[in-house]
Amino acid sequence: MGTGESTTTEAATETESARARATRGLDRVGGRRIALYLVLLALIVLYLSPLWSGFTTSLKTAAGFATTTPITPPLPEYVTTEAWLEAWGRMRFAMVNSLVFVLPATVLSAFLGSLAAYGLTKIDWRGQIAILLLFLIGVFIPYQSVLVPLRQFWTIVDLPSLLAFSSTLAARSDLIALAITHTAYGIPICTILFRGYYLTIDDDIVEAAKLDGASSIRIYRRIILPLSKPMFAVTLIYQFTNIWNDLLFALVLVRTSRNFVATQALNELQGAMVGQYNLQMAGAFIVALPTLIIYVVFGSQFAKGLSGESGG
Amino acid sequence: MAALTLDHVTKRFQDGTDEIVAVDDVSIEVADGEFLVLVGPSGCGKSTTLRMIAGLETTTEGSIFLDDEPIAHRPPQRRDVAMVFQSYALYPHMTVRENMAFGLEESTSMPDDRIRETVEETAQMLDISELLDRKPGELSGGQQQRVALGRAIVRDPQAFLMDEPLSNLDAKLRSEMRTELQRLQHDLDVTTIYVTHDQTEAMTMGDRIAILDGGRLQQVATPLECYHQPANLFVAGFIGEPSMNVFDVTYDPADGKLVGDTIEYPLSQSVRDDIGDRTDLVLGVRPEDVRIVGGREDRLDSNPAHEFDVTVDVVEPMGDQNTVYVTLGHHSFAAVIPGLQSITEGVTETVHLPESAIHLFDARTGEAIHNRSLEAVDEDVNRSTETETETETETETD
Repeated sequence: MGTGESTTTEAATETESARARATRGLDRVGGRRIALYLVLLALIVLYLSPLWSGFTTSLKTAAGFATTTPITPPLPEYVTTEAWLEAWGRMRFAMVNSLVFVLPATVLSAFLGSLAAYGLTKIDWRGQIAILLLFLIGVFIPYQSVLVPLRQFWTIVDLPSLLAFSSTLAARSDLIALAITHTAYGIPICTILFRGYYLTIDDDIVEAAKLDGASSIRIYRRIILPLSKPMFAVTLIYQFTNIWNDLLFALVLVRTSRNFVATQALNELQGAMVGQYNLQMAGAFIVALPTLIIYVVFGSQFAKGLSGESGG
Repeated sequence: MAALTLDHVTKRFQDGTDEIVAVDDVSIEVADGEFLVLVGPSGCGKSTTLRMIAGLETTTEGSIFLDDEPIAHRPPQRRDVAMVFQSYALYPHMTVRENMAFGLEESTSMPDDRIRETVEETAQMLDISELLDRKPGELSGGQQQRVALGRAIVRDPQAFLMDEPLSNLDAKLRSEMRTELQRLQHDLDVTTIYVTHDQTEAMTMGDRIAILDGGRLQQVATPLECYHQPANLFVAGFIGEPSMNVFDVTYDPADGKLVGDTIEYPLSQSVRDDIGDRTDLVLGVRPEDVRIVGGREDRLDSNPAHEFDVTVDVVEPMGDQNTVYVTLGHHSFAAVIPGLQSITEGVTETVHLPESAIHLFDARTGEAIHNRSLEAVDEDVNRSTETETETETETETD
């Protein structure tokens, strides 16, 4: 009781003195603080304005976006969801195409990267440094520089005829080529990310598992893989976003319009004569949606992985 | 359970162009069920030796046998030894139960219910049954230590390898676990190699101690042998706390005396015989054997030629005994005396270095050339009683 009372009194005194301080320094401190908030607010408006105008535009009719500024909220007489519906209708097949090749490419590149990193950190063999160097170089090769050899490679490796036994697969060979390309291109960065993480895992654990009779593959499966969850969240989000948003490889590798991926379909919404801005904006939002969902789902694991915490 | 033999085992590391010899031609035979402690200062090669037995390091030369089977070329998975790590190395994502079951699952074809039973029995033995469903992160250091032990015990291996398993515990828990480990090892009767840098652990736990320095084996013997009959100067200094007092001396065969900077020490014939024609020697006396003689009755069994006047520097009372640091000229050394004998800092006292307790080492090689023998200790006791009687008689006649 006694201590409770004294705490209350102390708290009261503290609040009072704080209030007094605040009143005294309002002009000086308060003024500066108000300025800070104004600047922050301005920055928020600046950063959000493209998103906001995109969103308002997507909800306006053609007359709406032609006669009002992009920032103006859609006025009742111009509101329509037609653009969203049309964009969805025209892009649905491409969204499915994208999902079909992005998911395997993401999972495969993360998994193979993790395996490679395990081999480079927890298993001893000659020539590791040279291999690690190759992976590092792989991270820094720009997309643009490989476009021509990539196209040539997929011409030499004639995927449609290789997949001729199944007409479905043959017809979708562009997507398969795209998945393989993105997997290969993603392995170096995934390996480097996992390597950094595995270096923080105590070698004693791996040695204890060896003495417990587990083979290298069993150690990966039962010790390393379960401990890798946070880093998998990081690489999965990173790879998914990268591969989903890529347009360049798709433009080079996808030859038939039925195999168009989401970014290509979005590109197609840009009319040749008239700019249908509402349609393009709605399309852009639809394409961005899956990456947002992935961030929300894996967000907390992502933060853990970035801070280098090992699971357990 | 099996006997373990190291036969001329050598480990060399390549460090750039330099070659480092971590373990140099070590041969040890460990009997079935024996508790052998590998001890030495850090960097002496004791951990490397253990890791070679485990298969975590390759051997550069030599062979390792479990009973009569050579195992040096087998991977660690196929050696059937269990190791307890200093860091415990528990699998952080698994419960205690899963940690303990892991080895049985990976190395045996035991059915699941049998594994479960074995794990529970072992947990009961170690008194960690209530921790089985927790994860290592939720356990205290002492509990993790027990789980690490349990993980080794549950596999019922041919040999236990322990790499400083107690060094992460606080002092009180460490001495408790020391006793418990000995009890467990005794009950399980499994051949155990225990690595430590702590000479107290070595003395109290091992059936035998193997002392390593600079990758070389210095001595393998029982704790008491290492203490009373060290093979060389290194062992003499390493075993025992406080360390053995040493004096650099030269032997003067004409007078039969050891002559140092600050002392002259006459020797009896039997010790002279041990010295042979060596001249540069190191004289060693354990602090426990140094006596501070005060009153006349203290002097009765003392040889005046082996008495020296010293100045008392520091007295460290330990309760049951006092450690006294004294200076003789500019040479400082230690004496351990009974706790009730009172000594004042700064005063001059007389110390007696009994000849029966001295050790002599070759100054060049460090090799022991004369050690106190355990019989000599007995003889000494007998002689002193005799002397006492004689003196008493003398006094009477006076």
